[in-house]
Amino acid sequence: MFKSNIDEHMENSVLEKKHEETMIDEVETVVGPSVVVEGDFSSEGNILVKGTVSGNVQTGRLLTVESGAKILANVKAGDALISGEVKGNVRVAQKLELTETSKILGDINCKILVVSAGALIQGKINMGNVEIESVKTDKKRPMVRTKIKLGGEEE
Amino acid sequence: MYVYFYDNFLKHKRYESVLKAMETRLTDFGIAGKIIRLQNYSNPEILVEDEIRKGAKNIVIVGNDETFGQVLSRAASCKITFGFLPIGANNNISEVLGIPVGVDACDVLAKRRKIKLDIGWVNNRYFISSLHIPASDIEIEYDESFRVRSKSKKMELVVCNLQPFVFDGKGQKYVIHPQDGKLEAFLRPVVRGGLFRKEIFEMPSIFPFEEMIVSSKNPFVVETDGKTSKEVKITIKLAKSRIDMIVGKERKF
Repeated sequence: MFKSNIDEHMENSVLEKKHEETMIDEVETVVGPSVVVEGDFSSEGNILVKGTVSGNVQTGRLLTVESGAKILANVKAGDALISGEVKGNVRVAQKLELTETSKILGDINCKILVVSAGALIQGKINMGNVEIESVKTDKKRPMVRTKIKLGGEEE
Repeated sequence: MYVYFYDNFLKHKRYESVLKAMETRLTDFGIAGKIIRLQNYSNPEILVEDEIRKGAKNIVIVGNDETFGQVLSRAASCKITFGFLPIGANNNISEVLGIPVGVDACDVLAKRRKIKLDIGWVNNRYFISSLHIPASDIEIEYDESFRVRSKSKKMELVVCNLQPFVFDGKGQKYVIHPQDGKLEAFLRPVVRGGLFRKEIFEMPSIFPFEEMIVSSKNPFVVETDGKTSKEVKITIKLAKSRIDMIVGKERKF
């Protein structure tokens, strides 16, 4: 009986996890083409913008801005696929993809950036944690040249 | 102790055999109980409160979506466990709750898989399945943070809780989760239409929300759980985990 209880509990927890996954996937905010949103707009799920949003947009998941759509303020998202226009700063935690029809008028901050030919950007791009090691030259030590013969023996 | 609320339409002869089979199955399970037949003007809240006083622990609604809405829109504030035995046509909510229509629903009831359901609250009244505002010149404010309007001014609004939302034409079906802690609003602006032309709607915009204010300069029609009224301003809220409900394993959330 005890075992069956444990089995049932495990089955329930697996089911609950499954439910959670499907639930998150299906919660999506859609702003239609002839809909105008005014004000700060945030969602826990994915956001799909086909119309106009005049206010900050924020989501921890995927933000998709379709061609012809406009966002007239700052954008903060987990991932973003932009084909429309954004007039404001874009801050993406992971991957930002700009298609050929996209226009960004503001600074971009992201981890991974994909830009298609034709995309228009006017602003700074900051991708954080970018370091290029500079070559160290030791000026005190004179450089010692070794002559190498064609045969491979050193002089 | 179980109390069964039978809808008025179950008086019809065609439901006699199903009801008999159900009552036999419930007796076999040892969960048969008092039967109350709902009339058109009965107030379920008063009836439920009365039964709680008499010692009822479970209220079982027997009927269809309309019965479910009629009872719970009034009795949702009562602290008791609800069950549902769907019979006949017009049963979409039962599918969402994972309760089969007919005698097999008794098995689900006997298993007592209990969960808490979120429901909607509009102008001092609960709504269970859905709220519908036909195409009107309305403006919507969500969660006191942003406003939504249509370029064409007129738009239709459907707020879904348990009822699956199916929009005309393409027959696309959205799965609504009564347990996701939010209500879903489907907005469809009118793209084309006129006095003699049929209104054509745009693909729906979807906004999950917890509180929403719908307002207009002119009165607009509001349909909640089959009841119609005219309003100028309504506030729609989410009542989280309001109802204790017995559901089936095959539920859609």
